[in-house]
Amino acid sequence: MLTINNLVKHRGTVEILSGISFKARPGRVTGFLGPNGAGKSSTLRILLGLDRATSGSALINGKPFAELHNPLTTIGAALDGFGAHRMRTGRAHLRWIAHAAGLSRSRVEEVLEIVGLTNAADKRVGNYSLGMGRRLGIAAALLGDPKILVLDEPVNGLDPEGIRWIRTFLRERAESGNTVLLSSHLMGELAETVDDVVIIKHGRIVADGTLEEVIGTHSTLEEAFFALTSESAGGVV
Amino acid sequence: MRAFKAELSKLFSLPGIWLAFLIGAFAPAVIAALDSIAEKEEIIAGVSTRLSEIGYIGLGLGVQGVIILGVLAVSSEYLTESSESGGGRQITTSLTVVSSRLRFLLAKAGAVTVISLLLCMVAILTTVSATHLILGEYTPAFEASRLIGAVCYWTLTALLAFGITVLTKNSMIPLTVLLINSSLVSFSVLLSKVTKLAFYLPDRAGLELFMFTNDRFHPPFTGGLILFGWVVVFFIAAAIVFHRRDVAS
Amino acid sequence: MSVSTSRKITPILRAELDKLVTLPLIWLTLMGTFILNLVLAAAFTSIGLQGAAGTQSILNIGLASMGYLQAGFIILGIIATCSEYTGGQIRTTLTAIPWRGLQLSAKHLALAIITLPAAFIIAASGVLYTFIMMRDTAVVAEINTMIKTLAGAAGYLTLTTLLSAAIGALIRRTTPALVVLLGYYFTVSPLTRDSLPKYFPDTAGYYMYMPPSSNEINALTPMQGTGILILWTLILIIIAIVFYCKRDA
Repeated sequence: MLTINNLVKHRGTVEILSGISFKARPGRVTGFLGPNGAGKSSTLRILLGLDRATSGSALINGKPFAELHNPLTTIGAALDGFGAHRMRTGRAHLRWIAHAAGLSRSRVEEVLEIVGLTNAADKRVGNYSLGMGRRLGIAAALLGDPKILVLDEPVNGLDPEGIRWIRTFLRERAESGNTVLLSSHLMGELAETVDDVVIIKHGRIVADGTLEEVIGTHSTLEEAFFALTSESAGGVV
Repeated sequence: MRAFKAELSKLFSLPGIWLAFLIGAFAPAVIAALDSIAEKEEIIAGVSTRLSEIGYIGLGLGVQGVIILGVLAVSSEYLTESSESGGGRQITTSLTVVSSRLRFLLAKAGAVTVISLLLCMVAILTTVSATHLILGEYTPAFEASRLIGAVCYWTLTALLAFGITVLTKNSMIPLTVLLINSSLVSFSVLLSKVTKLAFYLPDRAGLELFMFTNDRFHPPFTGGLILFGWVVVFFIAAAIVFHRRDVAS
Repeated sequence: MSVSTSRKITPILRAELDKLVTLPLIWLTLMGTFILNLVLAAAFTSIGLQGAAGTQSILNIGLASMGYLQAGFIILGIIATCSEYTGGQIRTTLTAIPWRGLQLSAKHLALAIITLPAAFIIAASGVLYTFIMMRDTAVVAEINTMIKTLAGAAGYLTLTTLLSAAIGALIRRTTPALVVLLGYYFTVSPLTRDSLPKYFPDTAGYYMYMPPSSNEINALTPMQGTGILILWTLILIIIAIVFYCKRDA
């Protein structure tokens, strides 16, 4: 269970998040949507303890990230970018993370197998393609076999096969009772994967509910998204 | 010309460039002022043995500013140091904007040259005023020929840093080697005690352009020519390597 | 809290060691420093051989390269902390290890574990080379003094590495960190050495490995030098940790 409660973030004089609240529940895939620069990544960074909130809280099972006992086995996260040093090999990258969480080396081989990177594991991360980098990020998120997954633009750069794989994978995770939060701006893709939708615009939540509730009278999620985020729209649904 | 302007704007928007400007424009003046204070009594008494170095020592060390400039101009194309960025490198964008690699390299070198020239002039201005401020009427005359020599030294050294960085792609090696070598504890000074060949190293030869020390080896013009030779060699090597190299590697 | 902290520290230290060991840059730097040191030792030995026989100490000549050698270790320290900011690795680090103070301390500890033996080997190799070349002409030190001095040198290099790592963690970008540290160690410090008290990291640390000469007034003992350098290093690490904990990653 992820609980974002009245989160406010200032960077300099700019207000990036102005009091957002939402929940991501176990057993469901929650889609976090918004235009570029709406505050999606900032929210996720605060949730993961990378950035500090000006006020409000982002809790994981009722605790802030830094108070988790073993963060990797509680929550797995893949943010934008590779998250790895260019000169390290993929396997070495996963190994140090595994050591940090006290996991075994065989677990590294397992997640490499899951994301399909076994053959590229000894290549330097700098030589990875965008899609391989995403797979490496997802592998790192899965290392501790966490109950909660947070993925920022997971399908970005993945090939069609990869996109289908991640869709079924996330559905399976949710159906076995896990919490999945993913941000994206690919509407068609999201509509096929998510149960709940949260839409953010200019640091404010403009819609929050199940997929059906948010689509409402619009024909598709995409239509609903544009109706909610276009400049004239405003207010909370 | 458009490529040149693009390179200028790229350089000015680099986050590390203020460090180069700060060191290039003001460090020479500070060093010259400190040196003048230390030597003041001896100069007034007329017994200073280092009269010919006053002020110029600042310019000799201040070259570090343009070394940073030359290195950063290239390494910033390859470096991705940010908590946000993924695998993107600017060089890919740069080479799709300017199709000819040689023209790209020349435009960049041109931008580095112009900024070094300007920076050195600012440095001369601040250094001469700082020396005058402290020594007053005892200030030794600053001859135009030596000041021009200093400008040449700065510009050529910046280009040398630029050429080496194209070869290494990484800022660490050229910065370390060149910064140490332009400092008071230069490798070249050490090596010159072992072999006379060390006087043909770029920094030793280049300093002869304007540092009239007692242990000089070349006349200014030859010194400048040797430094220029080094720059040309590194530039040709850089151009060949840069032309052949895959961008991704 | 203390029980859980001590249980946490082993995996974190393990992870930090892993990170350092699997980073090719670390090994390249150490190897480069090793080779450079031998070249410098050769140069100093050759200068020493030109001098009068029987007047020089092997330790003095073998460790004369320390001034340059530290550049390699400064780079090592900077790489260790700044490499976190390449490719967004810092995000992975902090999601795996959210206890920032503990993580940065563990990184320094891991760095020390790798640096100490490397520094000892590198410093000893220079002295060994000098010993082989100058056995007949120079004064051979007692084995006790030899080991004490080499331990001091290794300690000095390790502390310098940790100090550089702290500066790297504060600045977070390789190039500015390198410029600041090289600028201090190779330009500012040599310029001000005579006029300032010897309480700075490099001037105090110097006494860790240089045999005390009787003709120097107010020289520090090796212990005092060590203490002062440790103090500097600790203070900088603490400042780095405070900033690291307060800043957004």
